[in-house]
Amino acid sequence: MATTISPAPPAPPATRAVPLWRRMPAGLLFTLPFLVFYLAFLVWPTVSSLFLSFFNESLTGTRGEFVGLANWTEMFGDSAMWSAFGNTVYFTLLSTPPLVLIGLVMALLTNRAMPLRWLWRLAFFLPFLLPASVVALIWVWLYQPGFGLVNDTLARLGLAEAGWLTEPDLAMVSVVITTVWWTVGFNFLLYLAALQQIPQHLYDAAAIDGAGWWQRLRSVTLPMLGRTTGLVIVLQLLASLRVFDQIYLLYQGTGGPNFAARPILEHVYTTAFTNFRFGYASAISTFFFVLIVTVSVAQLKLFPSSSNSSNSSKER
Amino acid sequence: MDDVSRRAVLGTMLAVGALPLVACGAGDGARTKVRYWNLFAGGDGLLMLQMQDDFRAKNPDISLEAVTLAWGAPYYTKLAMAAAGGRGPDVAVLHLARMPGYAPGHLLDAFDVDLLEEVGLDPAEFPPGLIERATVNGRLYALPLDTHPFVMYYNTDVAQQAGLLDAAGRLTPINGPDALIDALTRAKKVTGKHGLALDNLDVMPWRLFYALYRQLDGTLALPLGGSIGIDDAKALQALGLMRRLTEEGLATQGLDYAGAIAAFVNGDSGFHWNGGWETTTFSTAKTPYSMTRFPNIFGNARTTGDAHSFVLPHQRSRDPEATRASYRFLAHLIKSSVTWGKAGHVPAYRPVATSPAYLALKPQSEYRDVTPDVQLDPPAWFSGSGSDFQNQGGAAFQAVLTGDLTPQQGLDQFKGAVDKLLTTPSPA
Amino acid sequence: MTSVRAWNLVGLLVTAFIAVLWLTPLLWAVDTSLKPEGETTLVPLTWFSDNFSVEAFQRVFAQSDMLRWFLNSTVVAVGVTALVLATASLAAYGFSRTDFRGKRLVFGVVVAGIMVPPQVLVVPLYDEMLALGLIDTYWAMILPQVAAPAMVFILKKFFDGIPRELEEAARVDGASILRIFWQVVLPLSRPVLSAVGIFTFIFTWNNFFWPFLAVSDPDLMTIPVGLATIQSSYGLRYAQIMASAVLGGLPLLVAYVFFQRNIIRSVAHTGLSGT
Repeated sequence: MATTISPAPPAPPATRAVPLWRRMPAGLLFTLPFLVFYLAFLVWPTVSSLFLSFFNESLTGTRGEFVGLANWTEMFGDSAMWSAFGNTVYFTLLSTPPLVLIGLVMALLTNRAMPLRWLWRLAFFLPFLLPASVVALIWVWLYQPGFGLVNDTLARLGLAEAGWLTEPDLAMVSVVITTVWWTVGFNFLLYLAALQQIPQHLYDAAAIDGAGWWQRLRSVTLPMLGRTTGLVIVLQLLASLRVFDQIYLLYQGTGGPNFAARPILEHVYTTAFTNFRFGYASAISTFFFVLIVTVSVAQLKLFPSSSNSSNSSKER
Repeated sequence: MDDVSRRAVLGTMLAVGALPLVACGAGDGARTKVRYWNLFAGGDGLLMLQMQDDFRAKNPDISLEAVTLAWGAPYYTKLAMAAAGGRGPDVAVLHLARMPGYAPGHLLDAFDVDLLEEVGLDPAEFPPGLIERATVNGRLYALPLDTHPFVMYYNTDVAQQAGLLDAAGRLTPINGPDALIDALTRAKKVTGKHGLALDNLDVMPWRLFYALYRQLDGTLALPLGGSIGIDDAKALQALGLMRRLTEEGLATQGLDYAGAIAAFVNGDSGFHWNGGWETTTFSTAKTPYSMTRFPNIFGNARTTGDAHSFVLPHQRSRDPEATRASYRFLAHLIKSSVTWGKAGHVPAYRPVATSPAYLALKPQSEYRDVTPDVQLDPPAWFSGSGSDFQNQGGAAFQAVLTGDLTPQQGLDQFKGAVDKLLTTPSPA
Repeated sequence: MTSVRAWNLVGLLVTAFIAVLWLTPLLWAVDTSLKPEGETTLVPLTWFSDNFSVEAFQRVFAQSDMLRWFLNSTVVAVGVTALVLATASLAAYGFSRTDFRGKRLVFGVVVAGIMVPPQVLVVPLYDEMLALGLIDTYWAMILPQVAAPAMVFILKKFFDGIPRELEEAARVDGASILRIFWQVVLPLSRPVLSAVGIFTFIFTWNNFFWPFLAVSDPDLMTIPVGLATIQSSYGLRYAQIMASAVLGGLPLLVAYVFFQRNIIRSVAHTGLSGT
């Protein structure tokens, strides 16, 4: 930072005695610390991702020439990329409805007075507090054939055992079950907070009109939850599109049986850090980045009022 | 633009404010620190712990920090990243077949022959085939610890009841596909569940396929920029046998690694195919077991495998003291690899492999003649244990084992995946 | 009224059923961790054992670096949380109460950043950290997680709602803007600050992807990374694996039990519920 002592840079005469930070508007000084982080770790990587995608940069440090659009043309013809892309979309479509609906049902159930309510709420939310690694360790154990709890229970019920982690058709279903168990607590919490903010007088009025439980739900509760639902769906879509942790950990980075559960971020990860191709991985990242931002912008148009809240606070 | 200069420019641009923030590693004072990474997560990991403790006891001036990372792609990814970051461990284990992908000279530093001599190691005392693969441009980048074949474990109780043991209580050699089917069928009758505990996931289907394919004298060519050279008929023959094992219920279907181990430990299966490194697990679990070479199914006794080797991951600045201590450490491990032999690995260092102590190890040393028959992956930047290549093979052939793909479909998928790897520019 | 009671009972039963379903995996993990290794895979499975013991836990403590990971997680989560609270609240106040040329544009860029998925930027971020020589340091894990535009947005929304009269009074008394921020605004913002702090802490503590890439040195690994990367058991050890899973999940669960009320209230404060 420039000070009045340093004689080296001849400052303009008018401001000689005034240190640089004094000359800056106070507001800029307030925002500056944050902006430094923001520029260095969010804006710069975004720009550099696009930049890297034109180089054949490698983790081994042996390459780094400009290759023009080679990475991009390779990507659009890369069947592994498209199948990972398809898996990501499949996961998103499969996981979003239960994550929203079960969260809503849980909130509706525990918003009423009932014995041991704290315990039920705790049970629904607890898994969300676990790190992905713990979740994966537990579910790999549960999904084991023969001596896994899931298959053992199925067998006791007279049903057939399933190869949860080994059958390509089930590979993503298992991930969805695990994910719902793990993260539905967050949506539950959002709904619960929203329910608690519905004014009591609306219910009172409905009760005077003789509305039963079902009618109150339909005419008061659900309409009042409309904005929350929009928000939850949007956050969930964005979170599901970025799936990586639990899939990587459940299948130890192999992509699941015959790659049936390899999401796009794992493809990026494998390309960059297992096959060392930073340039190509950046092309895929940039492509996916544009896609996610497009989804975000689309939902901004669809849910104009509710969508500009946090979504980075939901990083799973 | 040159990569190094590009990173340098980037660094200068962004480092100005951040440089003072770089954490300073706390030194250990008088003792030289050696950081060692390995991937021995199986029963052999326990033996490695013993060898490390032994080293610590005998070398109080060295502080050894040893870490075991999760086997396979996660380990190799971490190792590459650590070396690229320039703060990697001093010594690490690498499967020899993985070496071409580690860009010797970039992610790996070469061994100093003088220092090796100082700690009493002579490259001539190692199998020449392995040393050849470990040498690039005349410099040695890896020092082999062992060769480890894909082997066959059998439950001695089950085999006894199935009438598969000879008078001396050893398994009657299984030669040819019919003998194999017969043995598994009889074992299955005894256990009531399966004949063979087989891990269907990850790279195990690849190991099995390559062993069978090489027994058929099949060759595999990986010309960079071209397409895979493989004998379809032989590959289909190997895959057909694999599918037959699961289809007829002789082998477990849908089990992962730990599941297959458990199925063998529980006595649900009479046989188990795996690397030799689970001996400790079975001994600890008191499973009545023995082991032998992978059966001679198709006429020559080849089997799959690789060689655990020590490498020096690239470091931005190499401390001479730590380097010398590292050489002492790996010399200790190599010279005391009789202990390692207990894990079912065949020591690579001749003085150990021919020592009475090793020869007395039964059943481990009984298949020591396997070394020349152990088939490493053909060399390519993307092949070797736990590599993307094996992962691709594992995925395709696993689908064959579970019946999701026919052998022909599985083979086509594998060939397509390898062709793509071949046309991918090598990052090394 | 009987129908209301019947409905309440049905609601309770359904709730309890789901809760049991949700707790079972956790309980099974704890159950397994207390069994001797030999009994974990015995079929048919049982919840009870005559030989329950804490041996698996003792082994985890003896063989793994769980305590070290716990320390690292604490350093990273506390560091990120402190830096987020400091930088985001300053920035939010700047955007809410001061004026400078280009403010609207800068704020617009920051809000747009909320849509940027950080996971998609790991490759360029890694490249950047490599260039900075920060790979394998705490800083590599901490610094990128400080750039949390959503938190700036939440705080600004809250500051916008504080009546300006309070600050005017202080200004008349001659207090500087920094002093007003520190002595008037921050004390009023305790609920939203604790909300931002709690969520930042939880997400940082559990964050896997970036710390997993940023650090290869086992001495620096956080709990999620260490559990996923380091092998502390050998061969078949389900009791031990479940013991490490239980230990890895425990710190936040314990913290949650202490802060449970605050967390539900936080959601309302952050405006996350959309109402």
